[in-house]
Amino acid sequence: MALNHFNPLLRSNDLVQDLKWDEDLRARFEASEEDVIGSYSLTEDERVAIRERDFRRLYEMGLHPYLLSQLARLIYGTGEKAGTSAAATALIQSLLGEEYERYMASRA
Amino acid sequence: MAEISVALAASHTPGLTGWFDKAPEPERRAVRSAFDAVHDAVATSRTDVLLVIGNDHVGNARVSDYADFTFGLAEEHRGPDEWFKPWLRVEDYALPGASETGRTLYESCLDTGLRLRSTSENLRFDDNLSVPVAMADLASTGVAVVPLLQNCTVPPVPDERACYALGQALGEAIRTQLPEGLRVGLLGSGGLSHEPGGPRYLEIDEKFDRWFLDLLVDGDHERVLTEATFERMEESGSGGTAELLSWLVVMGAIGERPCTSLGYAAVDQWRCGVGAVQWHL
Repeated sequence: MALNHFNPLLRSNDLVQDLKWDEDLRARFEASEEDVIGSYSLTEDERVAIRERDFRRLYEMGLHPYLLSQLARLIYGTGEKAGTSAAATALIQSLLGEEYERYMASRA
Repeated sequence: MAEISVALAASHTPGLTGWFDKAPEPERRAVRSAFDAVHDAVATSRTDVLLVIGNDHVGNARVSDYADFTFGLAEEHRGPDEWFKPWLRVEDYALPGASETGRTLYESCLDTGLRLRSTSENLRFDDNLSVPVAMADLASTGVAVVPLLQNCTVPPVPDERACYALGQALGEAIRTQLPEGLRVGLLGSGGLSHEPGGPRYLEIDEKFDRWFLDLLVDGDHERVLTEATFERMEESGSGGTAELLSWLVVMGAIGERPCTSLGYAAVDQWRCGVGAVQWHL
């Protein structure tokens, strides 16, 4: 189950919520992502995972899947009119790893 | 001695307003017709206050301090939340609230053992309220709204029986605590199968959706509670399908009544099975 890894104490959850709720923070994140992730008391593992767009690692560490999808939108954009948006496919590619190509081919 | 005037449930997903046109024509027609029926049911039932029960998508509280249900008691409910505007592409709306009604319902449910909260602040609304408002054009009906945001996705989630019991408490409160003559409608907002942000983000479990809708139309609530459990919903899409718990709140409030399916569509690009039902009172 996708919720099995969820850890409410993982600080990345707060970061993604703040980014959704605070337009100024969002602007700072876009201008200088490092400054923002440096200003939160994240573990080095969390910072590396965000930096490397390693959604799977964040998922395993306990970022809530819904917030994971929102983080993907914060990074890859939010206004694309499609279910298979860049944000959604980047997220799934990370979650599925080497299974991704086969999975997408099976859906085509 | 108020009464329940209408009982409905419908899916929400950003695709319905953000990229409706990505679906084939027959599916668009089915969904358009379902939401038109929702609009007509609210309008013709002379509903004064509509209680909209919908998943809070981790949008109004920290995940480490999460209520089971939050009653929105604001004088006016404005949406959508800024962050969701480019995604949802709905017009800004401001619906009249019903603070007194909401407060009475909130206070009447405090002994359910659930973690209940209420707020007079404007809640952050995403597709949970914005999609039914836009798709069923609720603003034009003039109905006042009490949003009831619930936890369907942050463990521990109040399960099917807890949600049904809350519905029973709400139904009792409507019938015994609210003013004579007030007409209160119920709209569950959420489901059907989807897995937002999980490995099955792009998948819809059409088989589950059709089974669930048939089960509701069949009308045996004990069977629904035994078979359509939170765990079963999670199997069909983790963190998303369980938004159907909002439908169970409505069912608890009205008890066993005949139910009609207003339509269903499974469109991959919408990333969520979309359906709607109306119960006959």
